[in-house]
Amino acid sequence: MTTVSTHDPVPTELLDGAEKPYSRDKVYVLTAVFLAVLTALEVAVVEVDFVLWSGPMLVPVLLILMAVKFFAVAWIFMHLKFDKPILTWAFYAGLITAVLVYLGMLTAFRIWWPGAQDVEPGQTGA
Amino acid sequence: MAEPLTAHPTVAEADAHAPVAHIEHDTNTGISNTKLAMWLFLASECLLFGGLISTYLLYKNPLEGPSGADLFDIPFTSASSFVLLMSSLTMVLAVSAIERGDHHRMRIWLGSTALLGSTFVAGQIYEFTAFYREGLGFTTSRFSSAFYTLTGFHGVHVTVGIIMLVVLVMLSIRGRLPEHRSETVEVVGLYWHFVDIVWILIFAIVYLIP
Repeated sequence: MTTVSTHDPVPTELLDGAEKPYSRDKVYVLTAVFLAVLTALEVAVVEVDFVLWSGPMLVPVLLILMAVKFFAVAWIFMHLKFDKPILTWAFYAGLITAVLVYLGMLTAFRIWWPGAQDVEPGQTGA
Repeated sequence: MAEPLTAHPTVAEADAHAPVAHIEHDTNTGISNTKLAMWLFLASECLLFGGLISTYLLYKNPLEGPSGADLFDIPFTSASSFVLLMSSLTMVLAVSAIERGDHHRMRIWLGSTALLGSTFVAGQIYEFTAFYREGLGFTTSRFSSAFYTLTGFHGVHVTVGIIMLVVLVMLSIRGRLPEHRSETVEVVGLYWHFVDIVWILIFAIVYLIP
């Protein structure tokens, strides 16, 4: 058997629970560059006042950039793209459960209402 | 039938040779129990960090003491975030190297990952010290308690990851990490990447969103 170089994908017979060969190293480096650019963009969104993301658009833009980075790492670096779907479902089950549970909790604590976080201990917040 | 593990010679210094095929897992899923368990553990960690982030969101407006906006050094934290992101790259390159049977490169990448992780933790310790000098102790306000608990828990996770990386390097040097056990490196890698994606959330939600 010949050595698998970094320029070739890693074949599935060398991997645990993979459906497709893992990426060449070049793909990982490009993904890291993409993540670095997104991080720089996140900081620029906060530091630079620009019409596309000023005012009410600031938080949605930051959340979208955050989500893209999150799923890029999970999809490429954690190999969800290449592994069996059961691993994707196992992880997303926990993630979606967490999001739903804590959205419910934050709603119960009235976080979406203006001024709800400024309530003094002992007050009702109404 | 798969040959027994003991049939494989240990490969302490045999770098860049032919990789060995994975032994078929005799499980219903075709995935090793270790890898599946790690993914389920990471799914449960989503609930842990979800709780900590939600608590922070509830208590982020301090009723007394300094707020995050008064203290956060965004350029410094951005550099820390970049360091942790790059540690994910070095980690995935370490996994890639062991899957190709290249022990030498794997040790280099694992060492780099541990070094970048240590840099991140050092930055977090520096940041905590600076905040404390500015008057933000753990019990100063509800904001400070939530902030230190969230970021401190993440820092502990990174520290545990660094310990696992160092152990992997030592196992490799002693020749106790042959290619057919590359899954061990991959499982530690999954943990490390998860720590990275949690920081992606914390960086945006805690530091960037006003």
